[in-house]
Amino acid sequence: MGSDDGPPALSAAEALSAYTVMVQARAVDDRLWQLSRQGRAHFVITSAGHEATQVGMALAIRAGHDYVVPYYRDMALVLALGQTPRDLLLHAMGRAADPASGGRQMYGHFSSRARRIVSGSSSVGSHLVHAVGLAFALRIGGERDTAVVTSFGEGATAEGAWHEALTIAGIQRLPVVFVCESNQYAISMPHHAEVPVADVALKAAGYGMPGEVVDGNDLRAVALAMRRAMARARADGGPTLLECKTYRLRPHSNADDDRRYRAAAEVDAWRARDPIGRFGEVLVREYGVAPAVLAQIAGQARAEVDQATLDADAAPAPHPATIADHVFGTVAGAAPRSEDQRHA
Amino acid sequence: MPVITVREALRQALHELMQDERVFIIGEDIGHYGSTYGVTAGFLEQYGAERIRDAPIAEAGIVGLAIGAALVGMRPIAEIMSVNFSLLAFDQLINHAAKIYSMFGGQMHVPMVLRTTNGWTQLSATHSQSFDVMFAHVPGLKVVAPATPYDMKGLLRASVADPDPVIFIEHTLMYTVKGEVPDEPYEVPIGRSALVREGRHATVVTYSRMVHLSLQAAEVLSREGIEVEIVDLRTLRPLDMSLAIESFKRTGRGVVVTEDWQSFGTSAEIAARLYEYGFDYLDAPITRVNFREVPMPYSKNLELKTVITVDRIANAIRDALK
Repeated sequence: MGSDDGPPALSAAEALSAYTVMVQARAVDDRLWQLSRQGRAHFVITSAGHEATQVGMALAIRAGHDYVVPYYRDMALVLALGQTPRDLLLHAMGRAADPASGGRQMYGHFSSRARRIVSGSSSVGSHLVHAVGLAFALRIGGERDTAVVTSFGEGATAEGAWHEALTIAGIQRLPVVFVCESNQYAISMPHHAEVPVADVALKAAGYGMPGEVVDGNDLRAVALAMRRAMARARADGGPTLLECKTYRLRPHSNADDDRRYRAAAEVDAWRARDPIGRFGEVLVREYGVAPAVLAQIAGQARAEVDQATLDADAAPAPHPATIADHVFGTVAGAAPRSEDQRHA
Repeated sequence: MPVITVREALRQALHELMQDERVFIIGEDIGHYGSTYGVTAGFLEQYGAERIRDAPIAEAGIVGLAIGAALVGMRPIAEIMSVNFSLLAFDQLINHAAKIYSMFGGQMHVPMVLRTTNGWTQLSATHSQSFDVMFAHVPGLKVVAPATPYDMKGLLRASVADPDPVIFIEHTLMYTVKGEVPDEPYEVPIGRSALVREGRHATVVTYSRMVHLSLQAAEVLSREGIEVEIVDLRTLRPLDMSLAIESFKRTGRGVVVTEDWQSFGTSAEIAARLYEYGFDYLDAPITRVNFREVPMPYSKNLELKTVITVDRIANAIRDALK
């Protein structure tokens, strides 16, 4: 997708396709919150507001080639990497056909082996060390042109595992791009109560890697910075810490009430800078896209999400007989004694 | 006596405890937000940011800070909103909090309390676990897991007064459970079980939320002419088995109900002690009711097959009576 070090001159096709994914992601997000209020999806978590950051990241990632170790906020990212609204609704509704885990994992824990999206747990920041391990193995395996991307919120930078991941990546100069989706709140806690410096990017100095602040609501700025970081990783130039400043437009998840920790006026001010509207204006102004085309994209996204909802609704829940699947692997030829399942 | 919820009982205890200047509370989202389960709502405004400390997402840091402050005489109450994330603080809890008193030759105590929650409800594999057994396995840690508002209040006060580190285990599905609680301060001693229902046919040994489900199962069985006795352990370490063993000697039938995986779990220790001290009175194998041994599934139908229900407890009691 374009040159790795040139300017982020997105072709008209690239720009339209990126916009389409952003709109699609928001439509999925809207639907998830509806389903949650209707009691049809028990747990949902938002990506609203993060679309420029996540789709911008994807513009520098070769889906299925580079490894991605995302966090629970990255729905727009996994859509951009090729997952579908249907995949995400199956996941949110815990269906047997959920491609992430067959209905085992709660929503927001994305995975796809084919797309090299690696599943994580709910422990904040703990997945970064896995990204480091992947990069380590890629280097040993001689996959020189493959890079690893991992993402997290600014709250995660307080965790011990965050520090350990960046320390090892910095010492070993591993091909990892650490992307902080810096959205100013860790559930209720504002940036200044989570991070002792104004920019997470400043922390990079302590790990011997470049750190860069990017406007996370500007798709092209994110794409440019990501392409530079990925090019550095692939050229054996070591890791990068990228901080994309953005804002989440909804509560952390359907389990918290953001009116208890931030002012409505603040949320409204950020809604006015919505990354989707902003990139839509770029399309009209710089790419000469007719507003009617944007409206058509929005209509298509809604229709696709409606169909995906119907599909997921009709899809069967995991069969009880499969309850113990995938707890342990099997070894060919070995016949282990079965676990005691008296209370099955 | 006023009837209040578990949440209100905990709030009463914390308000009383905050009268002691040595007490402070630290945890994620506990100040401005008033905590995930609303237990510390309004505390920041009342006691100030010095003593109601919002912490970053740094579980080892939260527990380590509490240990350090406890060493010099403070009475920290640390909160980790879900026990699942206490794993990030396990080194602090097990290699430090549990052992400092011993490693210091008794020169310094660690009088800290860690409040945390068990619980589930479609929160899946890494949000629905119980590690009671992992805490209770370690000499030097006290482990308290009350079931009623009365015990929540009294045991939380006793935990803060205790010279040792105490893991105080709440349950996300119990905050709205109601019961009688006196307005005035009182303590329930750590390490004492309670007889919560009398009966003659079988002895159910349990604690925390499973006390309530066992009581419901007992009501079902009562209509079939089966009367079960129920012992609430209330504390896992030090473990008081005296009432359970006494009861077992009368009934000769034992059922252990614990909301964790069976293998090497709390029910294994409890059943082992019943066998050890009640062997001569044994009329049937002891039965156990636990989670299915899988990572907790998200999907509702699988989750309901994994967790403990009143029916499963009633069936285990019927099995014990065969």
